[in-house]
Amino acid sequence: MAAPDRDEPLRGALIRVLSRRRNSLGVTAGPAAVWILLLLVAPLAFMTAVSFASFENFQVVWEPTLEHYRDLFVGGTTEYSLGPVGFRATAFEEAVMLSYAVATAATVLCLVLAFPLAYVMARLDDRTFKLVIYLVLLPFFTMYLVRAYSWFLLFGQSGVLNELLGALGVGPVGALEYGVLPVVVGLTHAYFPYMLVTLYASLDGLDFTLLEAARDLGASRVDVVRDHVVPLTLPGIIGGSIFVFIPSVGAFVTPQILGVGKVQMIGVLIENRAIGEATNPTTASAASMVVVVSVVAALFLVFRYVSLDELGGV
Amino acid sequence: MSEVATETAEDTGERTDPGVASRLLGRARVDRLLRSGLYGFAGLMLLFLWLPLLVIVFLSFTESPAVVPFEGVTLDNYGGLAANTDLHASVRTSFTVATLSAVIATVLGVLASFALTRYRFRLRELYRTFGIVPMIVPGVILGVGLRFYFQTVGPGPSFLATVLTHSLYGLPFVLLIVTARLYTFDESLEEAARDLGADPLTTFRDVTFPVIAPAIGAGFLFAWVRSFEDFIRALFVSGISTTPLTQWMYGKITKASADNLLTLNAVSTLVVLGIAVALAIAMNVGNVTGYVAGTVGEKE
Repeated sequence: MAAPDRDEPLRGALIRVLSRRRNSLGVTAGPAAVWILLLLVAPLAFMTAVSFASFENFQVVWEPTLEHYRDLFVGGTTEYSLGPVGFRATAFEEAVMLSYAVATAATVLCLVLAFPLAYVMARLDDRTFKLVIYLVLLPFFTMYLVRAYSWFLLFGQSGVLNELLGALGVGPVGALEYGVLPVVVGLTHAYFPYMLVTLYASLDGLDFTLLEAARDLGASRVDVVRDHVVPLTLPGIIGGSIFVFIPSVGAFVTPQILGVGKVQMIGVLIENRAIGEATNPTTASAASMVVVVSVVAALFLVFRYVSLDELGGV
Repeated sequence: MSEVATETAEDTGERTDPGVASRLLGRARVDRLLRSGLYGFAGLMLLFLWLPLLVIVFLSFTESPAVVPFEGVTLDNYGGLAANTDLHASVRTSFTVATLSAVIATVLGVLASFALTRYRFRLRELYRTFGIVPMIVPGVILGVGLRFYFQTVGPGPSFLATVLTHSLYGLPFVLLIVTARLYTFDESLEEAARDLGADPLTTFRDVTFPVIAPAIGAGFLFAWVRSFEDFIRALFVSGISTTPLTQWMYGKITKASADNLLTLNAVSTLVVLGIAVALAIAMNVGNVTGYVAGTVGEKE
């Protein structure tokens, strides 16, 4: 307030403008709306358009075609059979199946591993809780790339794990070589805190005396978990699963580093078409659209059962 | 609830059996066993989270990037960092990008939080959903989409494109944390200030802002860290002239030689250390953990 007099007319005008509801709503909601329209909605719309455009002589030509989608889904060569039904998958379909399988494995692992820790955290006293949450958040805040890289050091033919096993006389274990297993472990480690924090948020509101009452009235431990703990924390379970599953499906860094070219997930495939060896914006866009549509469908399904507010504060 | 009721009824019947006391004793013993099992498992999970970080810190002090044969301890890996100009430039780039984009994300996010918590308007739910989407969209998709978009209508992959992309990416983190705080904010404080003659701007500066400042700080910190650690989005939009720290590191990982790995280990350790200090300060200054764990928002 160095020069209140000089600022007064401007200040008065500002207050007059802001005192009208429409103006103040515009000032608060407007900037982010512009940002979202220009940097999220428009690019995604543009990507949709590109995915239907032709690609000739390394140029995007604005002639509508379904060619890129057909290329992604038609003309597969790898044989698969699901029981009696056999089909031939394209490289893209294989990538989609692999990504969904890996993401499902990571999500289930996160849920099973994080739930007991979240349960314990919800029952800790404040001091211990502060220490534990610090120990959890530090790996969470550490660079994603650093964490993928540290698993790169641990896994592999001559990684730290195999060397330690070798020193103990248990030969190099083949399962520890770079491939699908390290990718699943890496993704589980990467998104574990998302699951933990979301689960914790819903467990923290849980009335533990209710559980004790149920036990005292003779419900078995399994009953208590099935009838009380799981239903009451369902929003957290669903929310945490989304926060693990969706980024895992589109992961690039983890499969690229821990899969050393052997694990072709969708993210790796898209990167390859977008800036890698086989640059083709139209195919990259079409592949991205498939991911976007499946993610939106998953979110739509989930939001019929829980609202965004219930997903905790990640 | 009906299920619970029937089970209770059955169990009261069961309770009349002899040997109730011994069963209760057995139950206490199993409870104790389960509890120690639960705490042991929780401890193991903390170890799982920490194992890779501990390995990296350990391997940053070794002569060779292998554990076996162990070749001794050294500080040489850190010595080389001081003269590495590429590294310094990339750290400066990452700091600048993170700071600029986090400032933008914080300003937009705080304003939007007020709109969401103080006004009812059409498309409010849609607005909120799209405010969260940049956090949920897989990085590859956001990166690819923005790359093609910027190539056609904007600045092309560049420093500016990276800042814009990260400002969008940071927005949901600010939005979630600040709306959670505003929902619990007692608006009668503001009304009291207004009744006592303060204008809206003064009310905001002297009443509202001090209360929500820790949440804004936590949001800024989150957005900053998200930008600083992002690799995949920057990969697509940064172009060749802008090299953030993550891209410098990725280059070293893909060209893995013993020297590269040892340098990387040292840099990674410094990153972990920097984050540890920042987080410790943030946790003591503001209730960051409360916002992160969602404990602030839900107790209305």
